Amino acid sequence: MSASIPLVLAWGTLVGLDLVTVSQTMIARPLVAGSVAGVILGDPLSGGIVGTVLELFALDMLPVGASEYPDYGLGAVAGAATVAGAPDVLGIGIAILVALSIAALGGVSMQVVRRLNAADVRTHETAIDRGDPRTVAAVQYRGVARDAARACLVTAIGLLVAAVARLPLFTLGSAVLMTVVAVGASLAAALSGGLRLSGGGLELRWFVVGLLAGTAWIALA
Amino acid sequence: MKTGMLRSFLRTLLVQASWNHDRMLGLGTAHALEPLLRDLPGGQDGDRYRDAVGRGSQFFNAHPYMASFAIGALARAEHESAPPEHVDRLRRALAGPLGSLGDKLVWAGTLPAAAGVGLFVAVLATPLAGAVTFLVLYNLVHLTLRAWGLSAGWRYGIGIAKALAAPVLRRGLRVAGPAAATALGLALPPVAVWLIGDLATNARIGVALVAILGIVTARWIAPAFGGLRFGLAALAVAFLVGALWQ
Repeated sequence: MSASIPLVLAWGTLVGLDLVTVSQTMIARPLVAGSVAGVILGDPLSGGIVGTVLELFALDMLPVGASEYPDYGLGAVAGAATVAGAPDVLGIGIAILVALSIAALGGVSMQVVRRLNAADVRTHETAIDRGDPRTVAAVQYRGVARDAARACLVTAIGLLVAAVARLPLFTLGSAVLMTVVAVGASLAAALSGGLRLSGGGLELRWFVVGLLAGTAWIALA
Repeated sequence: MKTGMLRSFLRTLLVQASWNHDRMLGLGTAHALEPLLRDLPGGQDGDRYRDAVGRGSQFFNAHPYMASFAIGALARAEHESAPPEHVDRLRRALAGPLGSLGDKLVWAGTLPAAAGVGLFVAVLATPLAGAVTFLVLYNLVHLTLRAWGLSAGWRYGIGIAKALAAPVLRRGLRVAGPAAATALGLALPPVAVWLIGDLATNARIGVALVAILGIVTARWIAPAFGGLRFGLAALAVAFLVGALWQ
């Protein structure tokens, strides 16, 4: 685990940058962030399970407009670090608690970066309005640097919290209950998101068709 | 101009780099616009170039991928010596439609559709395979939109509305919602079965009860509460109950 820390920090930084600031190719989606973090930490399956559960939570909310949304990608990285190499599947609930907490922290930290960006723009307003391309580029790249620092810091906090969560603090009862609750709450989030996305018209019919097809697939598989 | 277009395209990937509530995508738009303005009469030391960069940096909000349409169109308008007030009007007029189109086509269409397929493949094969499938499907649409938007904006300039009425976009809008709804619906039952696979019957009943409580909360009791808060609150309660139960 300790040998992988620099790589996990680097991956977390890329994931955090991808959320809004650089490219949005969606490596910040938890399915991707958690799976790759699992590979880095030597436990692809556990990382993938955490990523899948967090992806269900992420489907509850679409990043429409200037909405403030949790940083589920960084949450998935922290969750994967919590559960990687753990003895059995019961650690998933604890990992999801860590992941959701870090996702919330990541969302708040994004607002801080936005406020700092605004302050930077106000400081250089005259040069920007005059059309100085160097100032425009400098403000842009400082925005990238700020967000990279944010993502790296939140990842580091996530790794610390993960290390604490791996201590024998949780009873077996807590671990079992938390796994049950984490899976149930993630399915509720995805179903609610699906229903909201579908509205009440044609899309809802397609959503039901999909659910029936998915259920049929289980019966036949 | 080809080098300018390539530079501009790469800079569209940073269009939200200094996102803030004052100007939103304004600075990112000016930064992506700049390479296309370098060959304005007078060059990079000329007033037209500086004025155009300054205009481009004003408040602008749209979907980040669809902003490429505006960037190409604004650059073309500057090259065609459109009066400054026309350029400003064009930027303001494009913000709403580009935001709405992107929300429907990408955030409420491509993203959940690709996520649904990715989750399905994650269960069918491995989570990593699901992640790769998701990235490929999503970025096919994402990168195409950015590149096409920039070139269409440059081609049509002030008449960019023609590009936004293109049949392929209209078809995409018609298909995006149903595709997302179907893919999500298809993925959820297998994912649920996969996740509860190792759990005992009592625990599976518990999962179902928590899921029902979560849906009821989200739909009827406290719709603004959100999945994240519900998850955190429910996990905290589970931790305490589990500790006492032991």
